[in-house]
Amino acid sequence: MKKYFKSFVQYYLKMLTKFVLWRHRPFIIAVAGSTNKTVVKEYILKFLREKYGESEVRGNPRSYNTEIGLPLAILYLESGESSFWKWWRILIQAKMRALFSRKYPSKLVLELGVEKKGDMKYLLKMVRPSWAVVTGIEGSYSDAESNLDEIFEEIKLLAKKLPSDGKLILNFDDARVKNLASASKAEIISYGFSEGADARATDLKTTVQGQVFDFTFQNKKESVEIKKYGRHNVYAWMIAKIVKEIA
Amino acid sequence: MRVVQLRYSCYIFRELIIAYSSRMSNEKAVSLSPIKDMELRASRIPGVVSLAQGVPSFDTPEMIKRAAIDAIEKGKVAKYSLSPGLLELREVIVQKLEKEKKFYDFEEEIIVTAGSIEAITATMLAILLPGDEVLIPDPTYTSYQPAIVVAGGVPVFVPLDEKNHWAFDIAELEKRITPKTKALLFCNPNNPTGTIFTRNQLHAVAQLAIKHNFYILSDEVYKDFIFDASEKFYSLAEMRGIRDRLIYIFSFSKAYAMTGWRIAYLATHQDLAKKILGVHDALVTCAPVVSQYAALAALEMADEELAKYHAIYKKRRDLICRRLDKLSDVFEYQRPDSAYFVFPRVKEDIMRKIAPSGGSRQFAIELLEGAKVATVPGAAFGPVGEDHIRMCFGRSEEDIDLAFDRMEKFFENLKF
Repeated sequence: MKKYFKSFVQYYLKMLTKFVLWRHRPFIIAVAGSTNKTVVKEYILKFLREKYGESEVRGNPRSYNTEIGLPLAILYLESGESSFWKWWRILIQAKMRALFSRKYPSKLVLELGVEKKGDMKYLLKMVRPSWAVVTGIEGSYSDAESNLDEIFEEIKLLAKKLPSDGKLILNFDDARVKNLASASKAEIISYGFSEGADARATDLKTTVQGQVFDFTFQNKKESVEIKKYGRHNVYAWMIAKIVKEIA
Repeated sequence: MRVVQLRYSCYIFRELIIAYSSRMSNEKAVSLSPIKDMELRASRIPGVVSLAQGVPSFDTPEMIKRAAIDAIEKGKVAKYSLSPGLLELREVIVQKLEKEKKFYDFEEEIIVTAGSIEAITATMLAILLPGDEVLIPDPTYTSYQPAIVVAGGVPVFVPLDEKNHWAFDIAELEKRITPKTKALLFCNPNNPTGTIFTRNQLHAVAQLAIKHNFYILSDEVYKDFIFDASEKFYSLAEMRGIRDRLIYIFSFSKAYAMTGWRIAYLATHQDLAKKILGVHDALVTCAPVVSQYAALAALEMADEELAKYHAIYKKRRDLICRRLDKLSDVFEYQRPDSAYFVFPRVKEDIMRKIAPSGGSRQFAIELLEGAKVATVPGAAFGPVGEDHIRMCFGRSEEDIDLAFDRMEKFFENLKF
């Protein structure tokens, strides 16, 4: 029973999502990868909101990024979690929003979560991103036989489906992600600490207050200080800066 | 005062003997925790109401169990995770911490552990040399002492000031610092007192740590259950200036009713995290992967349950305080502003009558056998804890009422 209800919810939300995206035609930036998606999305949202204003840009609340989470993010609804009745209420709200909402942001920044073969194909039936950011493809397990190659293939599908006037922003420090460049007809913009990246961070130092580094993009170099720790925050900052500059 | 000093001398002597004999015999003298000992004793008596062990009365929330089942069914839990834990879990942990103004790197500074006691033990093993001293508040959680002893360290009690709502006495703390002092390990909110340490006290403690170069382990397992403290709960993990010497520890056991899942994490500066990770890897390889998926679901989906538990514990705290007030001729106590423990002092005349020579341990046994109510003797938490008992209000309201009905009858009978 639960299984059938879940399938029904999934199908119904997918249809309404496609409808709302067709109605409002927002510009979609996808964030994919096995790690660091949420932080990257939050940084992009922050930077784009600085440029375009709060109401013009929206992202997935929390980490809603799967077959049910993504439609909820696009329709801006909370999950019904384990409550049958909450889900009915959500389905009604979803219908109202899809059919009657007038205001809708012009830009969506969406995490696309994939775990297994077929996940990306399903998500791309709902959303067609113009730009995509790939964070990294890393495993959570100690053995080398985890499903990273499967995840790579899924993200490759996203790279392939980007339009020729689209942009694919790739982490050049990640060997798998770097390989995605050849799979896409979109413009490639690379970022990272590696030499040769289009946007590059150098001289990273950790201080008591956070991290400082130099950032070079489009022949402009600047010193950056962020009040957070870890390279993942540096990556997120770089990606958001690139997106803001070229948007 | 002399009695307290004598008790201290006995404790320090005992711990030194343990540490010395451990080194001599290469064996660690660690016994079963007094809490578990009392539970074991209680389990042999039919119909006992237990206010002893600090476990929540709830089952793990449904969505957490479902996420764990889902992970099992998808074949995600049969393999070792990376030693510090699943990447996605560490990522969510760091996002949660950021909301509390605690900033860490999920790749290098978070280690998911098999319960908070593993986090503490692994840290102790990583930082201590035999004979190093670790300061612990008195009273404090019973399992801290064995964790220190297992690592070859010597626990040194620092008395808390009961009259000042169980606050740190900074002068007393500084008096106990020696060249061998390697760390301070404390629980905030404190178990067994249910009180919290103020921002000013914690800043003073941090200054001492910098001045005398020792680590601080801040175990914040009860941080989500603050009821009506006089000031906002403050964590030393918010203080960037000491992040190279602070080990922040959080367990899912109490907040999400997950004691049996054995899952917690620690956060610390990357240099120290590397050292602890080596020990953690040697001890357990990784935390149970199924529990890591459960913890991920807890952080992502169980905010509502957490709020629900908070409201229920607050109600139970109020109930147990009301019932204690009715027994004011037996107990006096500091009202707990957090966690789910209250630590009343047994009035001297009552103690003399019930346990003339046995102290809080004898008192707790008499209460168990005479009233069929299990509590934990205060001496288990340190010398200052003597003359107290710990009661847990993690149990249901019915259990609390039944326990106090029985105690009222038991103390009433004493009068005749």
